[in-house]
Amino acid sequence: MLEVRDLAVEFDTEHGRVRAVNNVSFSVNAGEVVGLVGESGCGKTVTGLSLLGLVPSPPGKVVHGEILLDGDDLLKLDEAGMRRIRGSEVSMIFQEPMTALNPVLTVGYQMTEVLRLHKSLSQRQARHAAIDMLGIVGIPAPSKRIDEYPHEMSGGMRQRVMIAMALSCGPKLLIADEPTTALDVTTQAQVLDEIVRLQHQFEMAVILITHDLGVVAQTCQRALVMYCGELVEAAPINSLFASPLHPYTQGLIGSIPRIREHKIERLPVIEGMVPDIAALPDGCHFADRCNRVQADCHERSPVLTPSADAGAVACWHPLEPQHD
Amino acid sequence: MAAAPETIALVAAPPHQGLWSKAFHKFCRDRAGLVGLWVVVLYAIVALGVWLGLWASDWAEVTGPKWGPVSAEHWFGTNLIGQDIFARALYSTRTAFELGLVVAVLSTFVGAVLGAFAGFFSGGWIDELVLWFMGVIDSIPFYLLVAAIAFSLGDSPYAMYIAMIATFWVGTSRLVRGEVIKLKELEFVEAAHAIGLSEVAIIFRHILPNTFHILLVQATITFVAAIKSEVILSFLGIGIQDGMSWGLMIAESTIEVLAGFFNNFIAASLLMFGLVMAFNMFSDALQDALDPRSVR
Repeated sequence: MLEVRDLAVEFDTEHGRVRAVNNVSFSVNAGEVVGLVGESGCGKTVTGLSLLGLVPSPPGKVVHGEILLDGDDLLKLDEAGMRRIRGSEVSMIFQEPMTALNPVLTVGYQMTEVLRLHKSLSQRQARHAAIDMLGIVGIPAPSKRIDEYPHEMSGGMRQRVMIAMALSCGPKLLIADEPTTALDVTTQAQVLDEIVRLQHQFEMAVILITHDLGVVAQTCQRALVMYCGELVEAAPINSLFASPLHPYTQGLIGSIPRIREHKIERLPVIEGMVPDIAALPDGCHFADRCNRVQADCHERSPVLTPSADAGAVACWHPLEPQHD
Repeated sequence: MAAAPETIALVAAPPHQGLWSKAFHKFCRDRAGLVGLWVVVLYAIVALGVWLGLWASDWAEVTGPKWGPVSAEHWFGTNLIGQDIFARALYSTRTAFELGLVVAVLSTFVGAVLGAFAGFFSGGWIDELVLWFMGVIDSIPFYLLVAAIAFSLGDSPYAMYIAMIATFWVGTSRLVRGEVIKLKELEFVEAAHAIGLSEVAIIFRHILPNTFHILLVQATITFVAAIKSEVILSFLGIGIQDGMSWGLMIAESTIEVLAGFFNNFIAASLLMFGLVMAFNMFSDALQDALDPRSVR
């Protein structure tokens, strides 16, 4: 349904032109939940924003690539055409529910605004639809709460309102940018369950942007791992966690705090620092931190190549797939 | 004990008034602000009465002797040609309110819109243009500008209005521009983009409502500035052209004061002082109430 090909996004910064997203290609099938994982600054949010044509410009710019939604290239649309897509075909929810709702407008105003923008509804119909939607995302007494201001709601409640807004026009694709990061753990679990339930109910695809592999394991069918603006591994969840192929993915999974059989002194970490994307090293960007590095890694950039188990990996010396 | 009823009032307040109800309660606890507000309301009633023709409609008629003293018939005495000073002072209240309201509303509107566009597109050509305009207007001395506009409009009564609106929007605009630069980075603006709103809709529906507290305070400040400027401009002869105002009364009194007759001067000065002072108190309290950073 969604197919991204060779997407590259650049930003003009004080240190010159920086490529935040480089040759990223992936696809999302209808009704699928895909996790986009990576550290801060690896380009996952920029990838999400570029799907909606929301990369801040200037300084950002999509340099090349194609974003095909049901065969239509979104990058070829003009601003007005893009506005018709946003909020109706493709929706987005954001990290900070505290600031993602306008503090001086009621929830009802903000919800009916989307509905009236994309569907020819009267004020009353839009209000009814908004109340229904608030009920669907699990807000108690929606006909009362619709007239409240965001500050009268809790964080989890606001995130539900955001989800309700994003889903009210029945999008094909929902981009959720760290939707639960700002919430406490209990609320996090509830909101994730809600997203998964609604994803089934509305039969839409979801791209879940997160740095939390636990969240990915819980909700996604497939995951894409990004590092320094590039896709380094793509795999179905089961094989990704059971047998990661890229050393970076292995490192990420290894560094998840969990209950282990043997007592360990320290949580494993990936040694070294993420390189500055303004001055990326030649060859594989992960080479300097990699425990499987060999001489050729510093010379040639690996490309994403399909592997067994319907996955793909960008590494010259990937780990052996394990089958048990 | 005094805190108890207030707490109850806060809890009992309708839940969806939010920011404004908080400010309202804070304002209600500010004695000086409340006094200011009531005095302003009193003036407003006087002005409304004049406008409806209930009183002071005989301000231009000769109703007494030259320089009549304070009496039951003429509360503030009469002027050089025997007009009732009290009626003239009341009528001037209407002039002051008309001027203050028109200038405050229009210059705040212009300042808000231009400031919002400049801030939203900060760094772009719209911003450059608006900033250039602000610089130009700031660099022209105010009274010179009024005189120039008055000349070019051929002594039109609107010259002063136009000059004030053209000047006073700048301050509001700078404040709004700064606030909008801050606001547009917030996620709700990105979220508004993400639901497919156009930039103009985002500016008017999502960003400007977030600057209302600034606009309200700026409007009250502009109101006072307009009234004070009118007095000086009318005194100089480039202000109010027809009608009566406190500035014209003070201009009139320049001859009278030399002859030892102070009624005109005192009446105009006191009435103006009362309104300006009350409005300033109201405006200060409003600013405190609407400033989220100030401690209650």
